Amino acid sequence: MATDFWASSHHKRWIVDRATLKQARADDVQYVDDPEYLDFLSIYFADLISKLGKKLSLRQRVIATATVFFKRFYLKNHYCETDPFIVIAACCYVAAKAEESPIHIKNVVAEARSLFSQDIYGIKTFPSDNSKLAEMEFYLVDDLECDLTVFHPYRSLLTLCRKEGDHDEETEAGELGVGIGGDEGPRYWGSGDGQLQLKEGALQTAWFIINDTYRSDICLLYPPHVIAIAAIYLTFILDGNARATVTPLLQSSESSSPDLPQPRRSSRQASHADASKKVQDPIDFLAGLNVSFPLVATIAQDIIALYKRWERYKEDEKPSPLGSLSAGMKRSLSHSNAGTPREASVGTDAIVTPGFLSSLLLKIREARWTDIAHPGSGRPVAVNKMLERAQAVG
Amino acid sequence: MLDEWSSNILQHDPMRMYRAKRDSTRRTVSSKYHILGFISSGTYGRVYKAQSNDDDGKIHAIKKFKPDKEGDVITYTGISQSAIREIALNREIEHENVVALKEVILEDKAIYMVFDYAEHDFLQVIHHHSQTIRTQIHVAMLKSLTYQLLNGLVYLHSCHILHRDLKPANILITSSGVVKIGDLGLARLIYQPLQPLFAGDKVVVTIWYRAPELLMGAKHYNKAIDCWAVGCVMAELAQCRPIFKGEEAKLDSKKNVPFQRDQLLKILDILGTPKESDWPGIVDMPEYQNVKRLDLFSGQLAQWCRVRLPGQQLGYDLLNKLFQYDPDKRLTARAALNHPWFEEDPKPTWNAFQSIPAHQIPPPRRITQDDAPSMVPMASQQPHQGHAQVSAFQSQSKPGSSASFASLSGGGGPYGGQGGNGNGAGRKKARMG
Repeated sequence: MATDFWASSHHKRWIVDRATLKQARADDVQYVDDPEYLDFLSIYFADLISKLGKKLSLRQRVIATATVFFKRFYLKNHYCETDPFIVIAACCYVAAKAEESPIHIKNVVAEARSLFSQDIYGIKTFPSDNSKLAEMEFYLVDDLECDLTVFHPYRSLLTLCRKEGDHDEETEAGELGVGIGGDEGPRYWGSGDGQLQLKEGALQTAWFIINDTYRSDICLLYPPHVIAIAAIYLTFILDGNARATVTPLLQSSESSSPDLPQPRRSSRQASHADASKKVQDPIDFLAGLNVSFPLVATIAQDIIALYKRWERYKEDEKPSPLGSLSAGMKRSLSHSNAGTPREASVGTDAIVTPGFLSSLLLKIREARWTDIAHPGSGRPVAVNKMLERAQAVG
Repeated sequence: MLDEWSSNILQHDPMRMYRAKRDSTRRTVSSKYHILGFISSGTYGRVYKAQSNDDDGKIHAIKKFKPDKEGDVITYTGISQSAIREIALNREIEHENVVALKEVILEDKAIYMVFDYAEHDFLQVIHHHSQTIRTQIHVAMLKSLTYQLLNGLVYLHSCHILHRDLKPANILITSSGVVKIGDLGLARLIYQPLQPLFAGDKVVVTIWYRAPELLMGAKHYNKAIDCWAVGCVMAELAQCRPIFKGEEAKLDSKKNVPFQRDQLLKILDILGTPKESDWPGIVDMPEYQNVKRLDLFSGQLAQWCRVRLPGQQLGYDLLNKLFQYDPDKRLTARAALNHPWFEEDPKPTWNAFQSIPAHQIPPPRRITQDDAPSMVPMASQQPHQGHAQVSAFQSQSKPGSSASFASLSGGGGPYGGQGGNGNGAGRKKARMG
């Protein structure tokens, strides 16, 4: 189970398609002026989970698990009928237990209260009573159908890649030779042997790209190992050094486009013939993996779309909501995209702030409450709003 | 605009609408199952025998985790790490020799885990042979039970799960003789742990089944601790009493783990004093100096086996290899499963009871009626039951305390604690004595 994704609850019950995602947000979308706000909420919530997790000294994998729990919860529930802040806290609390690094409930309550009440979020109503969080945990575990084991792309990344010059298995401390050798974890997707060597910076980049994917629905849509491969693929585009290693290999192709370097068979084979045996060809390595490359490309596109959206999500106080590396990646991304026509109008460039999203959440909850309290007057308003939008579009 | 009442609710109980919705759709335990009786209790809560209200009318064991209490009011205080573990692991696994979780019901602040029912367990088989029919367990049955136990363990280990509490009470047998490993309450995943294992649980495995590296304070341990426990269980099946029946030294007031002198002496007495050449790592064990001060023993496992496993030279060989001091030299579950003893006649069977006369099959699990009402929320604790629970509270790893739903101990019956009649009381006495 620990190594067999295909036999897991994650694979069997929690990989969904886009239609399911859309259906899950069908009620919420009635209450927002622009459906895109819901995508911004994904960034906003993931950001909050990550911040709360860091205040609680949770490891990245625990934060990722908490984020997945949150997303799974909202596959079945609506923003407009729930309080996402208590859900966030409960997700962190359960994820810490599920990942065997438990934290005390009162710390979660204290840190959540302090984080959410910050001015940029402005949520002052988080309960101070531990039992409220414990109650939410109970309902959360029920809605998660007790499926608390989550797979993440990090493990796939470390199985597929190793730091250049590093021959040790990348495992976390604590076990001595206990079932964590690379040979024990079956390489179910790979046909090639060995691992892809990445410079430390490149491995970091891939790791950070994976972190970033949790700010979208990618973790609900695709198996984690394919996400890891998409992250490696993007690393060769976004990470300057990594890119330098593949650029020569692509040069012989007729019209190489560094923006979207689809590995071209012809060029790859040509360069492969020249390449000395000692130098690893990353394109060859990726091509040798037994995964669907259209799927990898789709995920890469999703990640790029996320970055474009993320550029418009700004916390008021800081110039950039992202770490310096992410910001750097976004820069290189916008460079590489310079050639593509910008269909964006002024409106789609508008900045979205956490404060705005906080008040949006409150607003849609009130609207929902009104609708349910007064079904006669409420519903049509929401429907009209959708109608207006539909008319405006076309 | 919202009226005052509504905005008050949104302010102070924003999840009210959500909970109402969930509560209205949730199917209750009592709507799905008919409770037939009470099986056992432990630190975690209680286990009931129940029949599904579905057409199949299947029998289940429902493990109800004790709801937390603050004073007299049942309240939410957070789900225990042990419950989270057991639920999370059980949701992912599926194997013929591991007890199957059918569903989990969260209702009225309590958690109910619904398992497939198993009529017997190893402890009950041992007790039946030692107390009632007063014969050894037939070698064909002993071999089948051990084989199936190993088969389940190979699966758990292949999933990178350490059980960490294998003992006769936790290993169930269905009425058709199929072994089911139960109680994953102490089990955990060891694949890329975020923290070292000892950081989470200071003490693992019931003392009589605890591997020497654990007794010697090892900070790192691995699957080999489960294989040691299998050796202990196999030996216990062979002689119908625990092979290393030591007294547990209790944690001191500062919760420091004491040196388990008596338990180690029991092991040394049969296996001999470990030599550094057998187990080079022993010199790095925190309790090494303490062990060096113990008397020297020469070991007598071969002699021990001549009496308990007569004619089973290969059975001795398997046991000897499961009892290697050095965890790295100890047989893995898979290697044990492939041991030649299992190729030799009588060969293991998937029905462990296949070759034995009917009267040697232990009687059905005892259930009692008068505890059943506590299935309903606001449990009214019965005095004797309270007593049983107090004793179980003292130490989670107390040998006689029940941990799996199978166990008869700790609450063997309504009068079990008062030393009257019944298997539970008799067995418990036998254990304590």
